[in-house]
Order: sequence, then C-alpha cells, then structure tokens
Amino acid sequence: MFLIDCPYCKESRDQNEFSPAGEAFIARPQNPEELSDDEWADYVFYRTNHKGDHWEQWVHTNGCRKYFLVKRSTISHDILEVAAFGEVTSENKS
Amino acid sequence: MRLRNHKSDYIDQSERLSFIFNNKSYKGYKGDTLASALIANNVVFFARSFKYGRKRGLMGAGVEEPNALVSLEIGGRYTPNLKATEVMLYDGLSAVSSSNPNSLDLRALIKPLHRFMPAGFYYKTFIKQKVWAMVEDSLRSLAGFSKAPTEKDEDLYDHIFHHAEVLIVGGGVAGITAALEILNNSKTTRVILVDERAHLGGELLNEFKSDNTASSWHHDNLNKLLEFKNIANSRLKLLSQSTAYAWYDHNYIEVLQTNATGESLVSGNTQAARKVLHKIRAKEVILATGAHERPMLFETNDLANIMLSQSVRRYLNEFGVISGKDVILYGNNDSIYNTAIDIKNNDIKCKVIDVRTAGSESKTVLKAKKLGIEVLQGYAVLKAHGTSLIKGIEISKVEMQGKKWKLIGSSKKINCDLLASSGGFNPVVHLDCHCGAKTFFDEDSQAFLPQKERKNRQVCGSISAIGFWKDAVIDAKNKAQLTLVSLGEIKKSTQGSMGENYLDYYNASQFFMPIEILNRPKVFIDMQNDVTTLDVALAIREGYRSIEHIKRYTAMGFGTDQGKTGNINGIAVAAEFLDVPLSEVGTTTFRPAYTGVDFGAMAGREVGGFFDPQRYTTIQDSHLEQGAEFEVVGQWYRPWYYPKSGEDIHQAVNRECLAVRTSLGMMDASTLGKIDVQGKDAREFLSRVYTNAWMKLTPGSCRYGLMCNEKGMIIDDGVSTCINDNHFIMTTTTGGAASVYSTLEMWLQTEWSDLDVHLSSVTDQFATVAVVGPNARNLMKVLCQDVDFERDNFKFMQWRPGTVCGVQARIMRISFSGELAYEINIEANYGRYIWDEVALAGKQWNITPYGTESMHVLRAEKGFIIVGQDTDGSMTPMDVNMNWILAKNKPFSYIGRRSFSISALNSEDRFQLVGLLTKDADVVLPEGSHIINNKGSSIGYVTSSYFSPILRRSIAMAQLKSGLSKINETVIVKIVQEKQGLKEIPCEVSSSVFYDTEGEKADGNE
Repeated sequence: MFLIDCPYCKESRDQNEFSPAGEAFIARPQNPEELSDDEWADYVFYRTNHKGDHWEQWVHTNGCRKYFLVKRSTISHDILEVAAFGEVTSENKS
Repeated sequence: MRLRNHKSDYIDQSERLSFIFNNKSYKGYKGDTLASALIANNVVFFARSFKYGRKRGLMGAGVEEPNALVSLEIGGRYTPNLKATEVMLYDGLSAVSSSNPNSLDLRALIKPLHRFMPAGFYYKTFIKQKVWAMVEDSLRSLAGFSKAPTEKDEDLYDHIFHHAEVLIVGGGVAGITAALEILNNSKTTRVILVDERAHLGGELLNEFKSDNTASSWHHDNLNKLLEFKNIANSRLKLLSQSTAYAWYDHNYIEVLQTNATGESLVSGNTQAARKVLHKIRAKEVILATGAHERPMLFETNDLANIMLSQSVRRYLNEFGVISGKDVILYGNNDSIYNTAIDIKNNDIKCKVIDVRTAGSESKTVLKAKKLGIEVLQGYAVLKAHGTSLIKGIEISKVEMQGKKWKLIGSSKKINCDLLASSGGFNPVVHLDCHCGAKTFFDEDSQAFLPQKERKNRQVCGSISAIGFWKDAVIDAKNKAQLTLVSLGEIKKSTQGSMGENYLDYYNASQFFMPIEILNRPKVFIDMQNDVTTLDVALAIREGYRSIEHIKRYTAMGFGTDQGKTGNINGIAVAAEFLDVPLSEVGTTTFRPAYTGVDFGAMAGREVGGFFDPQRYTTIQDSHLEQGAEFEVVGQWYRPWYYPKSGEDIHQAVNRECLAVRTSLGMMDASTLGKIDVQGKDAREFLSRVYTNAWMKLTPGSCRYGLMCNEKGMIIDDGVSTCINDNHFIMTTTTGGAASVYSTLEMWLQTEWSDLDVHLSSVTDQFATVAVVGPNARNLMKVLCQDVDFERDNFKFMQWRPGTVCGVQARIMRISFSGELAYEINIEANYGRYIWDEVALAGKQWNITPYGTESMHVLRAEKGFIIVGQDTDGSMTPMDVNMNWILAKNKPFSYIGRRSFSISALNSEDRFQLVGLLTKDADVVLPEGSHIINNKGSSIGYVTSSYFSPILRRSIAMAQLKSGLSKINETVIVKIVQEKQGLKEIPCEVSSSVFYDTEGEKADGNE
C-alpha cells in the first residue's frame, strides 16, 4: 500500500485513491500506418518490465483525476519522484 | 492446579467466572486466559493433532501456542481456531477444541499406520495412483482444525485509520522504554504502542518474584505512560490485545485488536465492535516484538505436559497455575534456571537437565544450585515416556565432539509429570520481513536476527538477542534516540552503553541437534502440522534441498501457527541432515499474516448494503410501485422486468416484448453513461476515439459509434449527439462509463494535450425515458407540442430540443430495439415526473414499462451487440461483422486502426459473431454453451440466447470459429439439461439479425 504524492493535489494520499496507468514515456507513434507490424506491436504490447527505478503513469482516480508521472523502485517500492506531465520528459528524466 | 498461596497482580480472585470447555463446566478468575483457567482445573488435553490425531496439551502461553486451538461460542458468534492461550476468560464463555481430544477420532484409530504415513503420503498413495477424486471428500473431512462457521456473523467489526510519527510494536520493557523516550524528548511526536497481551510489560512480568527492581520499574514506567495517555489531545495511543500482523509498503501496518473481555459476546451489546482492525501509517517503526522460545527435540516430545520453559514460568508467575508436581527443566541456556528458581520458590519439586557441561557457570546457575535445585549438566533427554501424558523421561550423557553433539554411555529413566524445555530463542522477525527485509544467522545468540540497518525502522530488546531486561532498557533508549534523529526532532543521539555479554540469549549453547536423537521416530518439530525430524530427512533424501521446498513437502510451518516454535528448529534439523551450517539453509519467507485474521475484521462495516455502492435512478420509486424486479448492472439497480400478479419472468418478458413490437413500451434508460464533450476540437476528438466518421455530423443529429483500444479490440459503443460544433454528448454502456471516461481523459492528458476538449461525466445529471414502439410518435405528439414529429422532419438518428409536459428536454430519435423510438432526456430530478406523465398519456396505447431482460431480447432480435456480453475484449469490429463502421479516409489514424491490418486480426479462423437457430424452435440454448466439432472440441460458444416472443422461437448469438463462412451450415451445441444431463443440440448458423432484417420498422406505423 503505497503513499503517493499527487503533484496536483500536493498531498500525500493512500494508494487506494490512485490507479496505475502503465509505463511512462511510451509516445503514440505519429504515423502508425507507416510502421511495420513489429514496430506497431512494440508500441502496443511490449514493455520493459524494468527491475530498478522505473518511470510510470498513475492517475488520481478518486481525487483530481489527473494523470501524472511517478518514478518508483520496483525493488523497494520506494517512490523517488513524482511529476506532472511536461515537468519531466523522456529527454530530461533522471 | 492453582497455587493457594500465590499472589498475582493479574488475577482477581474476588471475581469467579464460569465457563464451558468441551461440554464440561469449569470455574476460573478474572484475568485468566482460557488456558490458565484450564490448567487450574487440571485439564491437560486440549486438542488432537492435525494429521495423526494424537492427543495434545499446551505447549506455550501466548501467541506461540501451536496445539490448543479452540472455537469460541456457537451460531452467529462462532469463531474458529483461536488459541486458548490468547482467549481472555469471561463469564459464560463456551469453547470447544478444534478437534475434541476426548472423543473418538478416526485418525487416532489408524495410529498403528503412522509409520506408513510420512510426508508425501497422501500424494503418493492417492494422487499418483489416480484415486484422489474418490477419497478426497472423506480425507478432507478428517483433516483441518476447527469447523468453518455456517451462520451469518452477528457481530460488528470496525476499521480505524491512524497516522503517527512513531509506531512501536511490542509493549514489553523495550517498547515501554522506547515510547517514553520518544514522548519525553519531543513535544509533537505522536506515538502508537501496540501490544498483543492484556497487560503491558511482556516477559518482565515474569521477573517480579525474583527481582524487586523489575516490579518497581514496571510500576513507575507504566504510570508515566498513563500520564501521557490520560491527558487531553494525548500524543500516545495504547492498543492492547492487539497484534500487528502485517507490514506493507511505505510503513503501512495492520493491527487486529480483539475484544479484551468478550463483553459483546455475552451481553448481546451489538453496538460494540467485537474486533477492530487498525490501519496505521507511521513515519518510523520501532520493533520491540521480543522472541519466542524454541523447544528441545526428543522422541515423543509431543506428549501432554511437555511445554516451553518461559511459558511454564509465565503460567506460574502471572496466573499462579502449574500443571505438574514433579517438574523437569531441560535446555541449553540459563532461562531454564530462572524457571526452576521460581518453581522451587513455590515449594514444587524440580530438577534441571542442562545439555551444557559443567564449568564457567553464570550467576543464575549458581543461584539455582545454591537454592538446592538438583542440576544434571551434560545430559540430554532422549525420549519422553507415557501414553499421551508424560510420565517420565530417558536421559543420557552428552558432549560436544568437534562441532557435533554426541551421546555417550547408557541411558537411564527419571520420573516426572511436567517437562519444560528451552532450546534457545527465536527473535520475532516476522513483521520486519514482510516487506522484504532479510535476517542473518548470529552465532553468539544462535538465532536469526533482523537485518541490521533498515530505513525508518529500529529494533530493540530481545528481538535483537538481548536477554537481560536492564540491557533492553538501555537498548530501547538508544534506538528511540536514533528514531528521534531520523524524525529531525533532535540533532544528535545520546547512546548509553550496554552491559557485558548482552547479546547471547542467556548463554545459549549451539543448537542441540545430535543426529542420534534426530534419527528417532516421533521427534516432532511442527506440532500443529505433525512434522517430524524423519519427515525432513525424507524430504532431503527425495532430493529437496531448499528450505522452501522442504517446507512445502513436509508442510512444516503451515497452518495458523506459521511455524512460530517449530520453523527454526526445522531449519536446524535440515542443516544437520544436509550437513551444512544453519546460515546456509536460511529461513523460509515470512509473509503476512503473522496471526489469523477474521474475515469479519477484514470486511469491517463494508458488509450487506455497504458492500458495494448501490445506484438508483430518479425513477426508482416508480419502478418499485410497479413491482419491478431488479438486476445490478455496474452498481446500478436497473428494473429487470415488471411482473404482473402471477407472472414469472418468461411470461412478463413475453408480454413486455410483444407490447413494444405491437404498440408501445417505455424504459428507464438513465443509467447509460453520459459524457459531455466540449471544446473546439470536440469533433476531432470523437473521430480519434471512435472508428467511424464524425466530421460531417450536423447539429441536430446523432450517430452510433464503436470504440476500440489500440489493440483493435472493441471496448465500448454508444450514440453521441451533436449539440453544436463545439458540444457533443457521448453515451457509453452502463457498465463501461467509468473506465471509458478514464481512458478518454488519459488520451487527452497524456497524448493530446494540444486538443481543446473538456470532458465531464453527466451520467447522473440526466434522466432518460425511452418511448418505444409503433405508437411512439402518436404519444410524443401528445406529450410535446413544440416539436415537429413528422417522419420526414424528425428522422431516425436526429434529436430536437423541446418541452415535454412543461420540462425542457432533448428528444433523440434513436432505437435499441429496431422499433420507432424516442429517448426523452430531462434534468435528472424531473425523471420520476416525466416517467409518470408518459405512463399516463400512453395508457390509450396500453403503454408497457419494460426492463433490461426485454431490452436484451428486443436488441438480440435485431442483432445489436452488447459490448462485454457478445464481445469479450478479444473481438475486433470485423469479428462482429461491423466492417461498415470502420472509416477509411480519416486523416488521423484513430485508436486501434493500425491494429486492424495486423495479419493475426485478419485470419480466417477467428471467432466471428453469428446467429444460431436451434432446429427445435423451443430449445433455448444456455448462454456460455459450447459449439463443438465432430471430434467434440469447442469451436465457439453462445454469447446471448433468448426465446423471441415475436418470432415464437429461440434465437441465439454466438462466437464461432470462421463463423461468417459457415452461414446456413448445421453445428452442434452441447448443453447440460436439468435431469437429462449432456445433450447435443443441432443448430443452423444464421445471420445475427433475426427480425425485421430490412429495417422497415424504424419509422413506425404511418
């Protein structure tokens, strides 16, 4: 049961207010029709399943309903960073 | 027996309590546990063992007790599998053993077979021989502990949430000290102190008789603690009789508090919660959970009156009871001498057998000798004599040769009626390990100690091998100081210095595991699961090496006990048989829950009507007045059908469907999800999330849309209405409303933040009354004068604003039945009013309210799918024969589109939606039935199936492999019919549109 800081509500709230929404920084391809089946499948199905620090999306379902970014250790479950979309990008992420 | 001259602060001899155990009545005192009261009454047998049905007595005095499982009370207050050592006595208590030791037990009858029933016996005998199915029921009825409850729980359970800076688990010396240290050195820190017993103090209570300073320390510090507690806005919460049973991520700890007096059980006070589940979130945790004594191992060590040394001491000191007159203390450390001294001081005969050889005795040993207690050093117990109850023991000299214990010389017999043993101590590290912390084996203390450093956690007291209570005080202060530093309350910690040799658990010797003893039969390691040393040896012989595998093969450490006294001994036994050091074997994984948790406590108040939210439309009262039966759809209570007197569901649905097809019906459609989509890019947004085209939809029109995910699978459908170019109202399925809304928000927030679109859920803001049937237009003309309802002026899939019975409304001409239909949308609070007005005005056409069942029949007759019933998340629009809804020329590659061209989704042998017509028109296929090929394998299944009143025959929709190419072929559906068993039903594959295939009914009667 995590304690998550919502970057919009600016409050530390219990996990049951939130829902996970998958790995972060997986951008929808600009021109899906130009992709091969493999490239498309990579976007739709394949995830890194990373062991260690992992950027993921969460949504404050029973709160402000905003999606945001969470950097979480998949080993210790420590939450190392939270950010609104745009504050952290795939380019400048730690 | 109870000692006459013994005085205890914890037993109130002025209050006699009556209770019943295994159908016999007894008396005890206030302050007794069920176990101590039964010892006072000379009861020695508490239960029969799990596998062999052996009679067992008490072993422990608290949470570590593996044998004495009882069920409390009967009927709605029945609670199974409580430990007699933890049940506080109350007047009128009634308990029975989990399996009665006094009644005949089938397992006991097969006693001569025990040597043929080692670990893996059931598997090898029954499962491998494929006769398990024949014997499973009878074997399972023999196994297990207390019977499961059969009646509804009459009691209430509560959940309480807490937030604190510091949670201290364990209210012994260390816990009390740590709490006071924190409270004294901070003005703001909130502390919660949790303790499993009825009185704070833990094992310190045992020292009172022999150490005056112990009782005065306890008295003073308890008072200080109470001063902190008994003030307004106290920063201290004391939870007694509370067990912290689980530690989850981010310092979230769950604690179960049981009713201390059992008052609500007997007084019928149903307002008081019987148990409370505390949900605690703490910044810092201090574990002062103590240690459990582990027993010594020898042959038939499971006879009654073979107990743990500390437990015998606790029964004696705290409750003034003891179950023998001729006591043997046996062990490998000094704690047995403490017990011996207390026993001797009560003028009871006792003798100490110590496996450690003479020389370099501690003060405790010398004190015992000085008191005249007979001490045999360098001796081991080989076997206990007696049938079920101990009568004597067989002992032999022993010495350490190299690193192994060896027996020497011949054995001799000694009589006794109680044996108390101590083989060292196991720190209670369970909670610490729930969230991934590790243990390490410490040679000095011969114990698995908690990992040294851990974020936001300290351990103190005997969990870290501190035996002497004064050392525990210093240790707890030190650790509390570190906690204060971590909290930022103080800058630098003050660390007191500990006494000498404090980390050795009473000079415990190396684990006493001579192979000559381990190789004897009936040396029980795990009392609760009847696991012996030979079971472990067998597991190893059969190739199991990891302790996790040995555990699962032998069932060691299972059950409600979770190996509290047995596991570490089991690990040592395995180490001995494997001939590797203990540290190499390691421990099994500690997982929640540390102790049993009642389902009632987990559920709390979320039972009955509070289990799940119940949603009703504003028209609910009318439905009730009309006698509707309801079904639950995504928390909504929707009218299912409206039976007239004497009608069953089939008759009611028949009548409702025919009314709609021939004249007029009305339905409450308020529960459909409604999402208000606004912004200048609203239209673009719809065309991205739906598969079809939206750019040309004009204000005043509606359109059906199908929504897929990126995998190309259908996730939702519904009609969206164009209010104006910047404003649409999307409807979703009733059950999908929340998830669709969330998914749409995700696209907007994470991918398309450049779109000017805002979504609001407006499901609850509107009520919708659907008016359906050939006479719908006639009725609408009566209800609403400011709208032109003429066929060519208000076409199918259009909407008009209007005034219905004086209420502003949006009227949509859409249909889920194929009939002429209008949906009247009004502000929700007018729902009931409009419903009643429609019913009144519709009387001349015999307007008939209909529910979801008729709605399903009507839509199935037209082949309209229900997402989630006819589709299951693996269906593409092509699979349900809806290629027509896939836009070809939209500039934006809408969600799911790219997946449609993946070869797997275009394969010929996909499941496809078809209709099924049974050859015998009266047979209605059960939904979920499988379509089989000539080899009997499944090639599809029925998704929807009804009897169609208008067609006077059964109709069904099905997912069939390559179904669309099998139209007009005959397939076999295998069904199970009541009393007739399996039956094969021939069906013709058809189009899934069964009625009005040309769509001639949508305009109604003209």
